[in-house]
Amino acid sequence: MRFIKVAFWTFAVSVGLIAFEKLVQGDEPAPAPQSGTSDFAVPVEPSMKSVVDAIRAINDPYHVPKLPLRIDQNYGHTPRDLEPFGYVPPFKRHFMIQMEYTGPGRAIPEPEHVDSVKIGFLGPIEPTVSVATGGRSHEENLGQMMLRGAQLAVEVANEQGGYRPRGIPFELVVHNDNGLWGSSGNEIINLAYKDQVWAILGTIDGANSHIAIRVALKAEIPMINTGDTDPTFIETNIPWVFRMITDDRRQCYLLVDYIYRKVGIHKLGIIRASNRYGRFGVRELRDGSRRLGKPVPLEMAYFVGQADFSLELQRLKDAGVEAIMHWGDAADGARILNQMRAMGMAQPFFACDRCLGPEFTEIAGSNAEGVVCASPWNPQRDDPCMKEFRERFMKRFEVEPDTYAAHAYDGVQMLLWAIQVAGLNRAKIRDVLAYRTEPWQGVVGTIRLTAALDGREEVFLAIREGGRWQYYTRKDLNIPSGPIEKYSDHLKQIPGNLTQIQQP
Amino acid sequence: MTSNTAGYFASFIMLMWVAVQGCPEYAIADDSGAGGKNSSLPALAFGQSVDGISDEDLPYVYTQWENYTVEDGLPNDHLFCVKATPDVIWIGSENGLARLDKKSGKIQSWNEEDGLPWRAITSIDVDPKTGDVWLGLFGGGLARFSGGRFEHFHQLNSGLVNDVVYGVAVENNHIWCATTAGASRYDVITGKWDIYTEKNAPMEEIWNYNVTYAPSVNKVFLAVWGSGCLEFDVATEKWKDYIDPDKEMEIDLYRDDGIIHVITTAASFADGALWVSAYFGCCRYDGRHWRGFYAHETGLPSDFTNFLKARSANEAWFCTDKGAGVVADYATDTYVAYYRNSDNSGGVAKIYRQGRLLREVPLEVSIAHNFMIGVDFDGDDVWLATAHGLSHGIGKGYYPGVKRAPQQPQTVAAASSTSADSK
Repeated sequence: MRFIKVAFWTFAVSVGLIAFEKLVQGDEPAPAPQSGTSDFAVPVEPSMKSVVDAIRAINDPYHVPKLPLRIDQNYGHTPRDLEPFGYVPPFKRHFMIQMEYTGPGRAIPEPEHVDSVKIGFLGPIEPTVSVATGGRSHEENLGQMMLRGAQLAVEVANEQGGYRPRGIPFELVVHNDNGLWGSSGNEIINLAYKDQVWAILGTIDGANSHIAIRVALKAEIPMINTGDTDPTFIETNIPWVFRMITDDRRQCYLLVDYIYRKVGIHKLGIIRASNRYGRFGVRELRDGSRRLGKPVPLEMAYFVGQADFSLELQRLKDAGVEAIMHWGDAADGARILNQMRAMGMAQPFFACDRCLGPEFTEIAGSNAEGVVCASPWNPQRDDPCMKEFRERFMKRFEVEPDTYAAHAYDGVQMLLWAIQVAGLNRAKIRDVLAYRTEPWQGVVGTIRLTAALDGREEVFLAIREGGRWQYYTRKDLNIPSGPIEKYSDHLKQIPGNLTQIQQP
Repeated sequence: MTSNTAGYFASFIMLMWVAVQGCPEYAIADDSGAGGKNSSLPALAFGQSVDGISDEDLPYVYTQWENYTVEDGLPNDHLFCVKATPDVIWIGSENGLARLDKKSGKIQSWNEEDGLPWRAITSIDVDPKTGDVWLGLFGGGLARFSGGRFEHFHQLNSGLVNDVVYGVAVENNHIWCATTAGASRYDVITGKWDIYTEKNAPMEEIWNYNVTYAPSVNKVFLAVWGSGCLEFDVATEKWKDYIDPDKEMEIDLYRDDGIIHVITTAASFADGALWVSAYFGCCRYDGRHWRGFYAHETGLPSDFTNFLKARSANEAWFCTDKGAGVVADYATDTYVAYYRNSDNSGGVAKIYRQGRLLREVPLEVSIAHNFMIGVDFDGDDVWLATAHGLSHGIGKGYYPGVKRAPQQPQTVAAASSTSADSK
C-alpha cells in the first residue's frame, strides 16, 4: 500500500514538474498578450484565461484559488560549486516553491466611486540626507529615471483608455524615498492607507526596500520592484512582493565565472561603497571566490562621495591583487579608476551595473577603456519594442532611457495589465501577477519570474571597447560555468500542496 | 594496557558519546527518528522521547470555539493583535480598537473619530501596575489609552525612533516599542527615551518586528527582521544575540543548529524556553539545545508564521497563514493543527506526533479564519486574532501535555499514516 502511495505521488509530482517546466521555464517567451476576448478589457493569453477566471470567481474571505504554484529546481541558477557549504545537502531549501496568499483580501469589493486608479511610486527623487544609505543621498539620478519610466507607462496606458473596464484614468501617486530613519515604511503606510493606491512601485536602496516590503506585507498591497538588485530583497518569503530586474546574485555569478574560470585571475581585490548596496552587492562575489578556492585577499569599503581613495588603493596594491572589483556608484567608481591608474595600478577593473551610467565614462574618460561591468539587461539588443520605447522616452523626456527607466516602464506596464485583468482588488492584482502562466515580453526583454517571484533573466557583461559599451552574453564570450543541479528534495517538504502543483 | 591508556580510552569513548548526543548534525544525519523505531519519522531533539508513549496518549484539543466579527461589534474584521486580561479582551484591528467585556460579552470600539491617533493597531500590552493600555500603531507611533483618553507619542514629539510600530511590551516601568527603524524604550516615571539601533545593540539590521518581556528572567526579547532574536538583560543592560548559524538566506543547513532564519517575526519566553517564529518555520531554545519546527515533518499548518506565543516550555501556539499550529506537547513531539473549512464555519483539529497523523477531531465551529495573526492565553482559554475575525477557544477541561485515552469529543482515527496527504 505504501509503495502504491509513493508511486502515485512520485507520478503526480513528475507530471507537475514536467508541466511546470513548460510553464515556468519554457524556452519560447510569449509576446505581450495579443489575443483578447470580450470577457477581458485587455488582451489575455489563452493559457491565462482559466487562471483569471479562477481568481475572479473568489468573492468570499475563505477560499483561495487552487492554481499551480511555481516550482523551481535550483535557487538563483546557482552553479553547484558556488552553493554554500560545499556538498552538504541542506535540511531545508527556501524560495523554491511559490508563496501563496491565503488571507481574506479577495472578498473586498471593488469600490463604486473612483476618480482615478492610483498607483504608488516610491523612489529617491529629491536630494536629502540618508542614514540608511550611509550619508548624503546619492541615488536621485537613478530614482528620477525610474520615475520617468513609470510616468511614461502610465501615460501610454491612459492614451489607450486608462482602466478600461470603467474608463477611469490611471494616476501615479509619487512619494520621495529619502531613506531617513526608516521613512520608506511611513511612505508605504501613507500610500496604502491615505492615498489608497492599488499597488506600489519602488524603491532602489536595499535597506529602504526591505523596510517598505515589510509594511506592504502587513498592509496587504502588491509591491513591484524594478530597481533594487540586493539579493536578499526577495529572500523574505513575502507573497506580495515582485521583482522584475535580475539581481546582484546572478550578476556576481557571471563575474565570478568570467574572472576566475575564463580570465584565470587568482587574486581579486574588492573596493566597495560602505552602504547596503556595496555590502550585499559583493557578497556572492566574495563567497563565490572563496568557494572556487580563490578567497578575496582584501575588501576595502569607502564612504559614498569620498574624494581621495589613495589609502584604500595603496592597501589593495600592497596586497598584490591581480584585478580590482568595484561595487558602488558610477562617479565613485570612475574616481577610483582614475586614481588607480594615476598610482600606476594597471590591473583590470571590474564593476557593477551602476557604473554603466554616463557619469562613469564622463569622469573616467579614456581610463574607461577595457572596463568590464555586469548588466541585468542588454540595452543594445535589436528589438522593435525597445526601439519604440526609446523613441517615445527620448521624445517625452529628451534623455536616453537607462536601466532604471526601462525596468520601471516594464514593471508598471505589467502591473497595469494585471489591474485591467484583475479589477480593483489588491489581492486579485497580486494573484494575477503571481499566477501568470507566460513570461512577459517587455522592453528590457523577456521577464520570467522564479518561484520567489523574482526576475531570473540572463545577465550580461558590458565591456568598454572603442569608446562604447559592448554587451556580451555568457555564450558570446564562451564563459564556462559549474554544473547547475536540478533538485527535487524540496518537493517532499510541501505534501499538503501537492494537489496544487499539477496543471489544471 | 596501562591504567593511563585505559583512562585515555575511557575518556575518548566518553567524549565521543557526549559529542554524538549533543551534536545536532548527527541527529539530522541519523534518519532513524523516534528512537530508531521507524526510519520514516523525523528525528527527535534533545529533551524529546516517545518511549512508552502510545497513540492513545493525546493532547487537549479545543473543540468549543466562539467567533466575533464586525457583525458582533468589532470595528474591522482584519485583526492584528489580541491581549487578554482578567476582565476584558483588547483587540487591535486594521481600522480601530475594540474591548470585549468578558462578563457581558459586549464589545466597545474606538476609531480615529473617537480620538484613536491612528487606525491600524499592530500590538497591545497592558501595564499591570496602572492598567494603562499601550498601543503599537502601524504607521502612527505609540498610544497610551488611560482614563478614557488617548495620549499620542510619535517621531516628532517623543523619542520614538519610527512611527511604524510592530510590537509593544511593558517591562517594569518601561514601554518597549519594536519599530521598523530600531527599538525605543520609554520610562513612564522619568519620561526618558532610549533608542536601540546598530549603534548600541547587536542589530545587523535595525528592522525590529516584535518585542516581549519575560518577568521570570527580567529580560526583553526582540524579534528583528535580519538580526534574528536579541535578548536584553534588564538588570545588566547587556545584549545577547541569536542568529542563524549558517548565515545563508536560501537554506537551513541543519534543523536544530540554532535559530532557523535571520528574519524573525516574534519571540516568546516561558518556563526557561525561548520560542522564535519566522516566515520559514519556528524554533525553540532551552538554554542549551535548539529545535527547529517545519510543517513538512510536524503536521503544523505552514512554515509562514506571523506570530507565536508560548504557554510553557512544553506548549506554544503558532499563528500561520494556513491555520493555527500548536506544539501541544514538546516532550513527545505532539502537535495540534486547527483549520477552518472554506465553505462553512466548521473545521477540523488534527493531532500529529512526529509528523504522523493520529486523530482528526471534527469541529462544528472552528477558528474564524485560517490566516492567523495574533494569539493570547486567558487561563485555560485561548484568544486568536485572525485576518477575518476574533476566535475564542474555550478550554473547559484543559490539561497540559498528553493524557492516556482522554475524554475527547468524537474523533476520527487517522486514515493515513503520514501527515503529508491529509491536510
